Amino acid sequence: MSIVQFKNVTKEFGSIKVLTNVDLEIHKGEVVVLIGPSGSGKSTLLRCINSLERINGGDLIVDGISVHDGKNKVRLIRQEAGMVFQQFNLFPQLTALQNVACGPRWVRRLQRREAEELARDLLKKVGLLERADHFPAELSGGQQQRVAIARALAVKPKIMLFDEPTSALDPELRHEVLRVMQSLAEEGMTMVVVTHEIGFARKVGTRLIFMEGGKISVDGDPKVLLDNPENPRLKDFLQHVH
Amino acid sequence: MELDWSVVATALPELLAGARITIVIALIGLFGGSAVGALAGLCRVYGGIILNAIAFVYVEVIRGTPMLVQVMFIYFALPLLVDIRIDPFLAAVIAVVINSGAYIAEIFRSALLSINKGLSEAGLALGMPGWKVLTNVVGPLALRRVLAPLGNQFIVSIKDTSLFIVIGVAELTRAGQEIMATNFRAVEIWSAVAVLYLIMTGVLSFLLRVTEKRMRVL
Ligand SMILES: Nc1ncnc2c1ncn2[C@@H]1O[C@H](COP(=O)(O)OP(=O)(O)OP(=O)(O)O)[C@@H](O)[C@H]1O
Ligand SMILES: [Mg+2]
Repeated sequence: MSIVQFKNVTKEFGSIKVLTNVDLEIHKGEVVVLIGPSGSGKSTLLRCINSLERINGGDLIVDGISVHDGKNKVRLIRQEAGMVFQQFNLFPQLTALQNVACGPRWVRRLQRREAEELARDLLKKVGLLERADHFPAELSGGQQQRVAIARALAVKPKIMLFDEPTSALDPELRHEVLRVMQSLAEEGMTMVVVTHEIGFARKVGTRLIFMEGGKISVDGDPKVLLDNPENPRLKDFLQHVH
Repeated sequence: MELDWSVVATALPELLAGARITIVIALIGLFGGSAVGALAGLCRVYGGIILNAIAFVYVEVIRGTPMLVQVMFIYFALPLLVDIRIDPFLAAVIAVVINSGAYIAEIFRSALLSINKGLSEAGLALGMPGWKVLTNVVGPLALRRVLAPLGNQFIVSIKDTSLFIVIGVAELTRAGQEIMATNFRAVEIWSAVAVLYLIMTGVLSFLLRVTEKRMRVL
C-alpha cells in the first residue's frame, strides 16, 4: 500500500526549479534512503511531504490526503508524517519530557498526565528516561536528536522523515542516533531518510534513491546499488562520500 | 553662592504630587503602549500586506517625528480636526501610548524575527496550527528577548513625560518649574527633581534586573 505518492511534482523557489516533474511512490514499511549532491533537492523533497514547502505543480498524496486539500488537511498530513531535523530544533524553554509531551498535548489533545506518561515511554525507548527533566541546552547533540525523534513519534505518525539527522553530530555520537533509527525501522516504521551514512543505507535501507538536479536519477535496492553502482555519477558520488 | 536645602523639604509635598502624576501617566501610557506595540509588532511580522503596511507607516511616522511635536499635535491640533475636547492629562497619556507603542512595536518585531525559524517549523511539523506555534513556541521565547529593550523603553518614556510641561500637565518637571518660580532656588529644586526621576527609573531598572535574572533568556 502506498503511503506517499508524488505525481509529477514541481517545486520552484522564485525562478529556480528545485524539483522537476518528480514521480515517486513510497510504500508502507519501506525505509527509503535519499542521497545526492548538495543542492540536488533532497531536503526540499522531504519537506514537501509534510508541506513545510508548498509544491508548485503536480499533486502529492500522503496517507490518502492531498497537500492541496487545505490548511486543516495539511495539519492532518503533518500529524501522520513526523519530521526530524538536522539541527534538532527542540523547544529550548521546555524540558526533554515537555518537548516530547507537547505534541500529544497540543495536537492530539491528551491530558497532561497521559501525555507525560506517553512521553516517558518514548524517552525510555530512546534511552533517555533519566534525562527527562533536563533542558535541551543540558543535553549532548546525540541526546537532543534522540529527544527530537521521541517528540516526533509522540504524535503517532505513520511515516517518519529524517533530514540529515546525524550531520550536526560528532562522529562518536552518531551511532546512538542511528541505533534508535534502526530499531524504529525494525518495528516496521515507514521512513524516508536523507543521509550521508552509507552504512545505514546498506544495513537498514530497503530502497536507495539518488537525486541529481531536482530529479530522481537512480532508484533501487541499496545493497545492489552500493555494491555495483552502474550509474557513473552515483559511482562518483559514492566514492566521495566514503 | 549659598545653598539652602531646607527649601527642598518645604517643596517636597508638591514635588511628590508631581511625581505621582508622572508615575500615573507613565503606568497607564506604557501599559497601553505595550499593548499597541505588541499588536503592531505582530502585524509587522504576521500581518499580511495590509496590516503590515499600516503598522509600518505608524512606526515610521512616530519614530520620524519629535515627541514634542506629537504632544502638541494631540493637544492643540487634534481637537480642531475632530471636534473633541482633550484635557492635558488625557493628551499626555495618549502621547505616551502612541509614542512608546511605535518603539515597542519594533522591539516585538525584532524579537519575533530573532527566534530560530527551525523552531516554528518543528511546531508546524508536529501538526500544530500556526497560532498555537505563536502562543506556545515563538511567543514565550520572544517575550524573554523583549524584556531588556522593553525596560529600556520604559525608562525613556518615564523621562519623556517631562515634555508634558508644555501642555500644562502637573507632572514632576512642571511642579519643579512652579516651585522655582516662587522661590528661585534653581540648584536645590532641580537637584531634587533630578533625584526623584532617578529614584523612579532606578526602581524600574532594579525590578527589571530581578525579572531578567528569574527568566532565562534562551
Ligand atoms: N528557501 C529557499 N529559498 C530559495 N532557494 C532555496 C530554498 N531552499 C532551498 N533552496 C535551493 O533549492 C535547491 C535545493 O535545496 P535543498 O536544500 O533541497 O538541497 P539538498 O539536496 O538538501 O542539499 P544539501 O545536501 O546541501 O542539504 C538549492 O539550490 C537551494 O539553494
Ligand atoms: Mg538538505
